[in-house]
Order: sequence, then structure tokens, then C-alpha cells
Amino acid sequence: MTTQQLRPIVSVFPIKGKVKTIKQVPLPSVFSAPIRPDVVRFVHTNMAKNNRQAHAVSTTAGEQTSATSWGTGRAVARIPRVKGSGTGRSGQAAFGNMCRGGRMYAPKKVWRKWHRKINTNQKRYAVCSAIAATAVTPLVMSRGHRVNKLPELPLVVSDQLQSLTKTRQAVKFLKFIGAYRDVEKVIRTKKTRVGQGKYRNRRHVLRKGPMVVYARNLGIKKAFRNIPGVETASVYTLNLLKLAPGSQMGRFIIWTESAFKLLEDIYGSWEKPSKFKSGFYLPRPVMVNTDVERIIKSDQVQTVLRNRRPRSRKYGKKIQRADPYEDMSVMLKLNPYYKTKLQKQKELEEKNKEERKEIVDKSRKEYEDWLYFSEEEEEEEEEGSDEDREIEVLSDEN
Amino acid sequence: MSKQVPETIKKQVKRSFNSKEVKKEKNEKRVKLLKEIQSKAFKRAEKYEKEYLEQEQKLVELKQKALKEGSFYREPEPKLAFIIRIRGIVGVPPKPRKILQLLRLRRIYSGVFIRLNKSSLRMLHFIDPYVTWGYPDVETVRALIYKRGHARVNHQRKIIDSNEMIYDKLQKYDIVCMEDLVHEIYTVGKNFKHANSFLWAFKLKPPVGGFSTVKKSFVNKGEHGNREQYINTLVKKMI
Repeated sequence: MTTQQLRPIVSVFPIKGKVKTIKQVPLPSVFSAPIRPDVVRFVHTNMAKNNRQAHAVSTTAGEQTSATSWGTGRAVARIPRVKGSGTGRSGQAAFGNMCRGGRMYAPKKVWRKWHRKINTNQKRYAVCSAIAATAVTPLVMSRGHRVNKLPELPLVVSDQLQSLTKTRQAVKFLKFIGAYRDVEKVIRTKKTRVGQGKYRNRRHVLRKGPMVVYARNLGIKKAFRNIPGVETASVYTLNLLKLAPGSQMGRFIIWTESAFKLLEDIYGSWEKPSKFKSGFYLPRPVMVNTDVERIIKSDQVQTVLRNRRPRSRKYGKKIQRADPYEDMSVMLKLNPYYKTKLQKQKELEEKNKEERKEIVDKSRKEYEDWLYFSEEEEEEEEEGSDEDREIEVLSDEN
Repeated sequence: MSKQVPETIKKQVKRSFNSKEVKKEKNEKRVKLLKEIQSKAFKRAEKYEKEYLEQEQKLVELKQKALKEGSFYREPEPKLAFIIRIRGIVGVPPKPRKILQLLRLRRIYSGVFIRLNKSSLRMLHFIDPYVTWGYPDVETVRALIYKRGHARVNHQRKIIDSNEMIYDKLQKYDIVCMEDLVHEIYTVGKNFKHANSFLWAFKLKPPVGGFSTVKKSFVNKGEHGNREQYINTLVKKMI
């Protein structure tokens, strides 16, 4: 892959003491294979079924009677009952899965499918993923390995390790390299198995410690054999069940230098096929660059995007507004003329009031005047009124 | 220790269409626009006040003139009606139901303005038993729109809280403020349709003091049907 053309460098550590120059090795392409927990889980669950031993219930279990049903009319259930007499067993129910001493429901058979076939490529995909995961420190830590004191992950160690023969030497090496904490954890947490396995020759349970991968066994197998939790494996035959125990990726692996280098040949790369697995190239990831955020924020993408539509926050929220007829500020926002209008109305009212007052005053004055003058007229009329009256009465005859 | 701004953020800010400068510019433009709208609103409100007053006075003049000559003055038929639905949604036959839907009277005590013409009068005839309607005056129209006027914005019902809202939607019909809207509705102008559809159907409260009987028509001392100018008093009780 283009992202992997520049291969990082990994240091090769000695197995004891300091060395003047630390050798450096390029990281094999396997470590950049896509880490696919789903593939690993699938392959692991199926692979784990392959070391099962067949078990079944006896074929004759519960069938070794000649029981027959008594039929109806005897005030008993119609289940087959054991024939004969003279023994407690006679008349007892037989054959049914609900009966005491009867055969079980669906008796287990030996020809159950115990093993699973998995596509070769899938198996290889899973192993590549698992190996890649062993170089990712967070994954190794989350698996539970104590890797804080290690100088580097992936941990590559000189080939001298392969020639170790004594367990004492092996332990000394582990302590030197900082891997013994993981072994200590294993020793500390050795427990009796929970469940019936304990009396079925599986008494103790151990955690998994470091795994040592070598290219040539020159004694290393025996040296590490008795250290609790430590497993050894040849690089040619890496087992997924050991690389990802319980389908949990990120086993702590100590590689020897030659084993580490061989990984490039065994698993190949994306350009060169594997030398040992015919036609096998490393699996390609679905996305080469998984940093989606970075892709989106890149210049190439951003310059081609249209403008962001402005979120109209103007009337986005539910706005509670006061009644404009009660709150003047709200009214003025809607109708800035309102105050002027009220003023004008007021002025008009006052003007009308004044006009009306004038008119009322005028008419009152007129009335008062009329009153005053009429009083004077009445006084004059009283003196010579008779003559006028007589003239008026004569009109009837005409 | 100086805070380092990540490069992606720097780039984003540079590219941003919401950067401070752009925002500032937009804001300035908006403030300017709001000022314009408010000044227009002031002038137009003034104009309309005069117009309404003149209309009233003209009507009085014509009536007096007719009286003097010994003839009658026939007022022009009303162009605007306000309809209020006064019956619920249960048990409404399909034709009135459909007409009520078309008029946006989907719930009880909802009200709408409607332009009166032959076709709409026919529609009103069908829904008479379910509504009461009449001819609103300026103050009623104003009160409804100011106090209970909600706009249809983005398929949502939002209270009209500024002239900007009206400007955004109805600027192309030369309606930029509340008084414009009131005028367009009251005088049933050229763009009555747009002004009316801008308004969501009014949701009124049940009348203070209650109804007498909705089952009878207004003419028969009930409540439904045409009640001409008495719609104004009813709206005052329901607003």
C-alpha cells in the first residue's frame, strides 16, 4: 500500500546486558494489515471448535425396557409403563423424557458436526489481523498484558534467544527485557477452575502470558516450557487461537530477529505474494485512509463544497411576545407610528373638548340672555294685556 | 506556554463563511435594512390613518348628500369577512367538512379572513351552521393581526414579532410592515391572497360571556351565520 512504502524501523534488543550498537530492522508489511476484530472473532469461534472430542449419550440409555402403555380407562396417564410385577419398577413410567429413568429428549449423537471448515483465505486474514494487533500497544494493554516496562512494541530480540536451554536463563531474560511482570501476573492469578472441569483433569486456570516466537528451535522450546503463562511458537505455524486467545486480539509477543524478518516472506506484502502461502497477498483494507475527519477538512474537499447554508436563527426559537396592546415597546417595534397616533388622537380629543366647551358656553350664555330678556318682557305685558286677549278670542266666529 | 491553534482550525477559520468579518458585514447590512423597514412602516402607517379617516368621512358625506337630495345612498357591499368556526369537528357531513378545510377552519374557534365574492358566498352558505361571520372594521382587523397574528414561516406557525418577518416574506408584494398587512387585508387589495395566506388561521378563545345557542342562526337569536357588523363585538370577546 502506498501508506506503507515508508516502513518504520524496529530495534532489536539483546537478551542480556548492554550492547554498543542496537541493530535495527524494518517492520514487516503484516503489521500494517487491516485489524478486523469481526473476522478474527468469526474465524476464532469456528477454529476453536476443531479440537473438540465427540461425546454423546448411550444409544440404549432409557430404552432398555419393554414398556407398553396401559391405554385409557385405568385412571392413569397414558405413558408407556413397565410390564410385569413383583418389583417396584413394574408399572412405572418409561421411555419418555419426562419419566424417571426414561431416555432424554433428543439423545445426543456422536455424528454431530464437531468441526468447522473455514475458508483458507479467511483464516489467513484473521492471522494477519492478529499479528498486526500485537504491535498496537493499546490493544495489547487492553488484553490485559503488563507491558509498561517494555522498551518497545513489537518486541524484537536477538537470535541468541533461540539457543537458550535453561529455564533459569529464560527467566533472567524475561526479567531483563521487562516482560517478567506479565509472567508474575500469571503466577499470581493461578486459580482452581470454577465448575466441573476441576475434576475432569482441568483443575487449574492460568492467564496467558507472553508468547515467544522463534524461527529455529535450538533449545528455546524447552527453556520456556516450564514458565507459567509463557508459550512458544514457530513463526511458520502461528496459531490464531494463541495469537488472539478468546478472539481477543493483542497477545504480547516476543519475536526473535530472524522470526521477525521471516514474517515478510511468510505473509508477503501487497506487492509481493507470500513465499510460503501460494498466491497469498496481504489483505487490503476497505479504507486506506481512515481519518475521515481529516479527509473532510482537507483543502481538496473543502474548496469544492458549496457555501454552508446559514441557519436562520432569526425566528428559529419559539418566541413568546407580549401583547402589543399592553406593552408599548412591543407595539412600537411592530408599528413605530403608534405613539404619534396616540398623541394625535389625544390632541384631537383635547381640541374637540375645547370646541365643545366653547359651544356649550356659548349656548348657555344665549339661554341665560334669553331668560333675562323674557323676564323683562313679562313685566311689560302684565300692564296692558286685556285688550290683546279680547282680539284673539273673537277669531272663533269667523 | 502559548496555545497552539491546530492547522485545520486555522484553515477552517480562513475558509469560513461565518468568520467574524463576514458576520460583521452581514449584521451591518441587516441593521441598515431594519432601519429602512421601520422608517417605511412609520410613513405608511401615517398614510393609512389618513386614508381610513377619509374613507369614513366620505361615507358620511355621501349619506348626508343623499339625504339632502331626498334619495338614498347605497353603501358598497362589503368585500371582507371574518369567519369564526363555532362548532366542533364531531359529526360534520362531508361537504361542509371539506369547505371548512378549504377555508382553513380546522378547529373550533379558529378564524380566517375571506374575500367576499359570489363563489365564496356560496361556500359560506354551506357552512353557515358551523360558523359565524361578519364584516370586521379596522380596529378588529388590527387587534387580530397584532395580538393573535401568526405567520406561516417554513411550514411553521410563528408569532409575528417584528416587521422583518413580514418584509422577508411579503416584500415582493410591497407589504413590509404590520400596518401594510392590516391595510391589505382590510381593503382587500391586489395582494390580499398573499397577505392572507401569510397569516396562519387565527386561534381564538371561547367568548367571554359565552354563546346563547350555536344551533340557531344569529337572526333567530342564536349564534351561527352572518352577523354583519356584530362580528366586531364577538371578536372582542374572543380575542
